[in-house]
Amino acid sequence: MFGIALIVLLAVVVLYLWSVYNQLVTLKTRIGASIQEIGNQLKRQADLIPNLVASVKGYMNHEDKIFTEITDARKAVMEVADSGDAQKLVDAGSRLQSALGALRVIVEAIPQIQAAGPTMQLMNEVRDTSDKVMYSRRTLIDLTADYNIRIAIFPSSLVANLFGFAAQTGLKVPNQDEVLQVKPAETQTPQVTL
Amino acid sequence: MVLFVVFITGLVWLLANVFNYNPDLIVFALLLSTLMSFGGFWWSDKIILTLSGARPADRQKEFNYYTVAENLAMAAQLPMPKLYVLDDSAPNAFATGRDPQHAAIVVTTGLLQKLNRTEIEGVVAHELSHIKNYDIRLMGVVTILVGSVTLLADWFLHGLRFGGDDEKGSGNLRIIMGIVGFILILLSPIIAQLIQLTLSRRREYFADAAGAFLTRYPEGLASALEKISADTEPLEAANKATAHLYITDPLKNNKGSVNWFAGLFNTHPPIAERIRLLRQMV
Repeated sequence: MFGIALIVLLAVVVLYLWSVYNQLVTLKTRIGASIQEIGNQLKRQADLIPNLVASVKGYMNHEDKIFTEITDARKAVMEVADSGDAQKLVDAGSRLQSALGALRVIVEAIPQIQAAGPTMQLMNEVRDTSDKVMYSRRTLIDLTADYNIRIAIFPSSLVANLFGFAAQTGLKVPNQDEVLQVKPAETQTPQVTL
Repeated sequence: MVLFVVFITGLVWLLANVFNYNPDLIVFALLLSTLMSFGGFWWSDKIILTLSGARPADRQKEFNYYTVAENLAMAAQLPMPKLYVLDDSAPNAFATGRDPQHAAIVVTTGLLQKLNRTEIEGVVAHELSHIKNYDIRLMGVVTILVGSVTLLADWFLHGLRFGGDDEKGSGNLRIIMGIVGFILILLSPIIAQLIQLTLSRRREYFADAAGAFLTRYPEGLASALEKISADTEPLEAANKATAHLYITDPLKNNKGSVNWFAGLFNTHPPIAERIRLLRQMV
């Protein structure tokens, strides 16, 4: 009688260890996949940009600064796209997103571009890629939080220590510690002469 | 769910013991109705889509809808559901499919015209939450149970003449139990329906909350619901059987203020309440 109870107890413990181990491994793999996903989305966005810049440039002759910034940001993204380092990806990505955001603000003030169907379509596609970058970043944050919680809570923390699962660093979102300030120059409507 | 199983078990026991029905026949009837309803649930996506006449969504023409669904499916870690569009000016949306791998979302052209991208995002997030939480499977099972209860009650009432005539216990007790049992049998389909509708409303609230969590922006769905409720045109393709699948009652049964008892019979919670709860989420 006692022997059977012991076997049952052992079986329960083994099954528990097995299931928690599998969960942790699955989460870790998913985290790796989501980092790759961020890289993919950034690459996709970077591919669309030359086309966008070419089609918008014709309407704007005095805004070279923004195009330089976009091109530089794009280069920075292409450099880190395959690195697999989440923080580098996100930092390079953020720079590109803010450059594209500035471009969008300017574009929306120019009625001629608004009327050009294919250009606006391209602009919408690029904005959608920004959304996708945001969502893939959020997926990474959620998965990392899930994984770290599972490692921290008892009793799965025992399993994590047993098999050597370490906490993942996740992402440090840029601008978290700075106070965002709007510079007076940014509140002026951009002047465009054609 | 537990309530339902208890309820049905109680009903079968009641029929078998108090009224002396052969339990085997009861089980057979239940099995038959279950199989029929199960078929409806298993192929629910194909059936609903054929019935409503929806067409697949086009990425170019319905860019906002398509890309929003792509993004949210990625965020929810779900496979991309099939997207369809229904030609109707009444704004509404629904999701169907037995699991996330066989899921489909349908929106009306009216919804796509009246809502902006952020609001469409809120609606699609709500529908994706239904899919993710297996609400369609849940409501399918519940419909099967409700059907079984109705079948049992109906069967009993028809076969009243052939009730058992074994003596079980004293005569008075038997009469009282018979009367109580009879009333319960009469009320059982209504009770089953009420349980189903309460469940439907609960899952709507849950899908609202889960959708808001997905987008991290509850105001999107809140303003979408506002715009949808302002439109009073009923949706032609819907009927009572499919009403519970839609994001708001397509038959436009949502009056401004409903008293408590009438409110029990709504498939969806009152929209004002849903908007209020969404806006409370920070």
